[in-house]
Amino acid sequence: MKQKQGQRRVVQGFSPNKLGIPETAKSSMNSEPDGLKPSTTLLDRAQSFIHGLTQRTGPLTDQLVRKPGAFGLGQVPARLKPTATVNLVCGFCATGCSLKAHLRDGEAINLTANEDYPVNLGMACPKGWEALTPLDAEDRGTTPLLDGKPVDWQTAADTFAQRMKAIIAEHGPESVAVLSTGQIVVEEMAFLGAFAKFGMGIKHIDSNTRQCMATAAVAYKQSFGFDAPPFTYADFEESDVLVFIGANPCIAHPIMWQRVLMNKRSPKIVVVDPRRTETAMAATHHLAIKPKSDLTLLYGLARLLIEKGAVKREWVDAHTSGYEAFAEFAQAFTLERTSRETGIEAAALLELATLIAEHERVSFWWTMGVNQGHESTRTAQAIINLALMTGNIGRPGTGANSITGQCNAMGSRLFANATSLIGGHDPNNDGHRSKVAGILGIDETLIDRTLGMAYDQIVDGIAEGRIKALWVLATNGSHSWIDSERYAAAMQKLELLVVQDMYPTTDNAKLAHLYLPAAGWGEKDGCFINAERRIGCVQKVRRAPGQALSDFNILRLLADAWGCAERFEKWSSPEAVFELLQQLSAGQPCDITGIEGYAMLEREGGVQWPLRKSEFPITRNPKSEIINAERRLFEDGRFFHSDQRAKFFFDEPRAMPEPTDESYPLLLLTGRGTSAQWHTNTRTAKSAVLRKLYPQECYVEINPADAEALGVASQQVIRVSSRRSSVEAVAVVSACVQPGQLFMPMHYEQVNRLTFAAFDPHSRQPSYKACAVRVEM
Amino acid sequence: MNEGTAVTLVDTLLAEQQSLTAVERFSQRHDRDALEGLGGRYSALLPVAPPGPGEQYAFEVNLDACTGCKACVVACHSLNGLDDDEAWRDVGLLLGGKRGDAYQQTVTSACHHCEDPACMNGCPVGAYEKEADTGVVRHLDDQCIGCGYCVLKCPYDVPKYNERLGIVRKCDMCVGRLREGEAPACVQACPTSAISIRVVKVGGMGVSPVASKTGILPVFGTEGILPSGAAEGRMPYALETGKMPVLLGLVPGAFDSSYTRPTTVYRTTKIMPQNTRPADAGLLRLEHAHWPLIAMLVLSQMSVGMFVVLALMGSHSSSIYVAAAALQMGLGASVLHLGRPLGAWRFFLGLRKSWMSREILAFSVFAGMAMGLVTLPMVVALPPAIEHGALVATALIGLLAVFTSAMIYIDTRRPFWKASLTHGKFFGTAAVLGTSAVAALMMNRGMVIAALSVRVLLFAWERTKYRKALDDEASDWHLSARVMKHRLAGVMDGQEALFLASLVVAVPVMVASGMGAVMAAWGLFIIALISQVLERYCFFVAAMGMRMTGGYKA
Repeated sequence: MKQKQGQRRVVQGFSPNKLGIPETAKSSMNSEPDGLKPSTTLLDRAQSFIHGLTQRTGPLTDQLVRKPGAFGLGQVPARLKPTATVNLVCGFCATGCSLKAHLRDGEAINLTANEDYPVNLGMACPKGWEALTPLDAEDRGTTPLLDGKPVDWQTAADTFAQRMKAIIAEHGPESVAVLSTGQIVVEEMAFLGAFAKFGMGIKHIDSNTRQCMATAAVAYKQSFGFDAPPFTYADFEESDVLVFIGANPCIAHPIMWQRVLMNKRSPKIVVVDPRRTETAMAATHHLAIKPKSDLTLLYGLARLLIEKGAVKREWVDAHTSGYEAFAEFAQAFTLERTSRETGIEAAALLELATLIAEHERVSFWWTMGVNQGHESTRTAQAIINLALMTGNIGRPGTGANSITGQCNAMGSRLFANATSLIGGHDPNNDGHRSKVAGILGIDETLIDRTLGMAYDQIVDGIAEGRIKALWVLATNGSHSWIDSERYAAAMQKLELLVVQDMYPTTDNAKLAHLYLPAAGWGEKDGCFINAERRIGCVQKVRRAPGQALSDFNILRLLADAWGCAERFEKWSSPEAVFELLQQLSAGQPCDITGIEGYAMLEREGGVQWPLRKSEFPITRNPKSEIINAERRLFEDGRFFHSDQRAKFFFDEPRAMPEPTDESYPLLLLTGRGTSAQWHTNTRTAKSAVLRKLYPQECYVEINPADAEALGVASQQVIRVSSRRSSVEAVAVVSACVQPGQLFMPMHYEQVNRLTFAAFDPHSRQPSYKACAVRVEM
Repeated sequence: MNEGTAVTLVDTLLAEQQSLTAVERFSQRHDRDALEGLGGRYSALLPVAPPGPGEQYAFEVNLDACTGCKACVVACHSLNGLDDDEAWRDVGLLLGGKRGDAYQQTVTSACHHCEDPACMNGCPVGAYEKEADTGVVRHLDDQCIGCGYCVLKCPYDVPKYNERLGIVRKCDMCVGRLREGEAPACVQACPTSAISIRVVKVGGMGVSPVASKTGILPVFGTEGILPSGAAEGRMPYALETGKMPVLLGLVPGAFDSSYTRPTTVYRTTKIMPQNTRPADAGLLRLEHAHWPLIAMLVLSQMSVGMFVVLALMGSHSSSIYVAAAALQMGLGASVLHLGRPLGAWRFFLGLRKSWMSREILAFSVFAGMAMGLVTLPMVVALPPAIEHGALVATALIGLLAVFTSAMIYIDTRRPFWKASLTHGKFFGTAAVLGTSAVAALMMNRGMVIAALSVRVLLFAWERTKYRKALDDEASDWHLSARVMKHRLAGVMDGQEALFLASLVVAVPVMVASGMGAVMAAWGLFIIALISQVLERYCFFVAAMGMRMTGGYKA
């Protein structure tokens, strides 16, 4: 109906007498109808004849016709008009946007961003818009593969059980390890952790979240007493000063940046980053520090804030411990030293200190530039210290806030049963042990009192022959692990490598003895927990190809083959597991006992933890009729340590592990390339339209001064070499990297061949962002 | 688990995996949401009222807000139901500055819905319309014959050829959405509201004489792109009271098209460093070769050349059959270039502006006369004077047809296809192949000398021009010359070898007689033919068409 009106308007518009159409537009009207007066002149007849030769409709035009799509969608392509829609949280990054799947016969045919969700408010980044496309890839796994040959599921499951059991029998339970992911739903993560430890009886399970947020988790746990990011995205809109450290949200988290631009307080935006990133361009202040000098910068700032009297002593005394020692420690970081070691002029440091001191609401945000460093935990805690000492926590627009990477990093941190006993519990705490054993209905002796090894220790264990079997789920260490050639060499030593993934074609899956085809995001139910602690649902809106099964169903099958199915009888469906996790969370900081099933998560636009049973029903926002959608932690100044105080942690900065020298005079930085690429690009590379948005060949950014000195022209293929390897890349000459530095995006497999394997001692997170290299022609 | 029954756990799990229940469980709520007020949300990004007389819709981009997420590109793809790799928006990147003022800026662009669209003016069959009420340049998909000329004509690389459909498709500013008060896909999808739709004055896209001299004067009451003349070193902005500055000219790297008058408005408050360049500046791109067009051009020009030679000789030899056959082959090849040739009979719809229409007309007349010349003598004996007159007339029409061929490319305004080069090459091909073919067919030694002379002159002229453009960085087709040197080195060497070979082969023609001379003459012709095919290949592949600011192209 409306379409017709539109057409009528066009016809009206073609009357030049009425509208006085300008000269340029008239020229095109020769081929147009003039339905309002009879054709009399020869010219009119000619025009009418010509009009008859113009095909305005037909099968090709029909391909692009747009019609009202209902469901609040506005116009959609007519051939993709949905019969229903459901919402599901995106399966890429930790922003946790809600996407609206357009369904026909229950199956998703298209997708838009959900306007009603408090996270993304109707927006999505390119990955989100294209989230369905990787499901249709031609190289999806459709059947289990044993030594590259298709086998049925029963054979695959039996092989898994028999060979794993044989290795455990011969080499002990510590000879088998699991490398998991932050990309699967929390119910599956929990099931995996429970099955590995309480079913298979193995000890070492870690995941790729070690590469992205281990630092934030450890820093929060030590400082706050629990791994608890305090913020809500509304804080982006509520701040007077936002300080981004090692974060490039314009590219890495564009939908969070949307919230920054919605800030109506004319905020000052400070970016601390060696590169002039997209975010640095958009900021009001950019501090282009020397790589890995951020710890010094933060301690120097602390000293300046003390000097300025910006410390909220009353609050600090009431709610923290260890401030005095920290204040004394910070005295060594004089303005002169800080300026010299960071490469930032004293005036700029003073200006930043003034900004922090003189504004009511200051929020600090960090991402991988901090988390992926050789002293990352202390760096994150130096940020936390700044927030604590200035009282910038627990109020709107404040906080020491970790923006993390993967869609379910938070779910992994709480419920993966890897870095804590499931639900953020302590495996050595008798109360926790009996609580968990009771809820899960397992024998308490099945719970090991110590945690397993971290990712790097597992890789070492494989390289040294102590670990004989590895089970990898939804991650691609052959590309993503630091010093990746060493990782690849370790894979060759395994007696059994099982890879469970959507694709048998990832770098890691290609090495597998046994490949298990997994259903992807959109092909299964469950929940993700995003960076602001919001639990949101994903739905099954697509049928998995061939015999691919959800990780959840694969785990049911493997438990059955292992002979321990009765131990997991309670783990019958994702929603049943969610109820188990709620019970496990009771009394913990992440208590979610107040959530009434998936239906409530769907209805309320996700729920941030905690939501205790006693809190429900909680305040409702009368306007949106959803529960108070944005909630932050520590509003009462009480932290999760037993004394309810936050702690100050600090250490002397250490030199970077592989500094430049005469042989390798340039420092290689790595990071995200574009918002259209996700990590190792196993999924995003499947979308033809996403592939248009980034270079297909590996590239390296180089400063014009270095390029001139080396005789490198833009677009020229050059060789970048480190002590580990040597790779080719196309040179892009850009002043956005500083002289003496190079930048390469992590999405290209070559890049981690170069990186130097150094780790933060507390979080064991790899330091991806600094290694010495040289350039050759 | 299911022991004792025929159904195994694997069967159960596989069945469960294939059942979709999300609709039953979660879609009820959405059933109520029929067409909610999408418009309200984007009201600030849409004009208050539709364009009035003398106005049209235009995209406006706030570069300060564009931070490079590229959601606009993918939303265009998804919300318009485009093919797998199809999107009507692109995002380029500007890089500039030095240490301390390092500069990068992403640039989103779609169709600029020009006031005087080059695509529309080039279309031979009227498959483009500029809507009188909105100014939106629409492509009529069912009218399109897939000739791709608009792709060459657009200075911003906007229309894209769709292999699957054999037609071109392009951005229509989601005009159907605009009519319903909805925002276009890209406007809806931009997380930072960087893209908006504005109403601009038609004819306001020009620059006032004062402004063009100073480059920076306020241009009150004018919105839109101001063709720059903003040379390097001048601040490329126009200031308007109460508004963000408008960039003069589109953005660095974008072709400054004052003849099409693009309507997109780019605004920024940031100072662009003087050395700002597109990230793909200096990239040596190979363009599409268009083999059917290579065949068409070379064969049709050879045919015209032969007719001219025969007319000059006053001889109506059997060579005329070869000339007519070459023309038919050339025209036949040109049909292969069309995605949907069945609609090509409508070519006359574009005669007023499209050189392609004129070329089709000229070659149709030429082909008709040529066929008449070949077939008529078989039926009736014509007086020699009339026959010669007809031959001369045919040759003249042929020359006119070659002129229209050249104008097709000249009219795209690509520097490598400028008039002096294109006319020289096209008429040069006619001269070289016309003389060589007639020389071989008639074994005319004088004609061989003529052919060889033309060949030497043409080659020397081409190489001199090429060297000059290669050495002179300021040459307008320096980049094309670089493409030829660095990416077409094999073809260029081959050309040289062929030229030397023709000099060697020329010797037996001069000294020998009989079969040796005949074979050598044919050899000369074949070498010349191959060399002209290679030349035309370079002509297309090294064209370096204009486009918007590009991004990293590693």
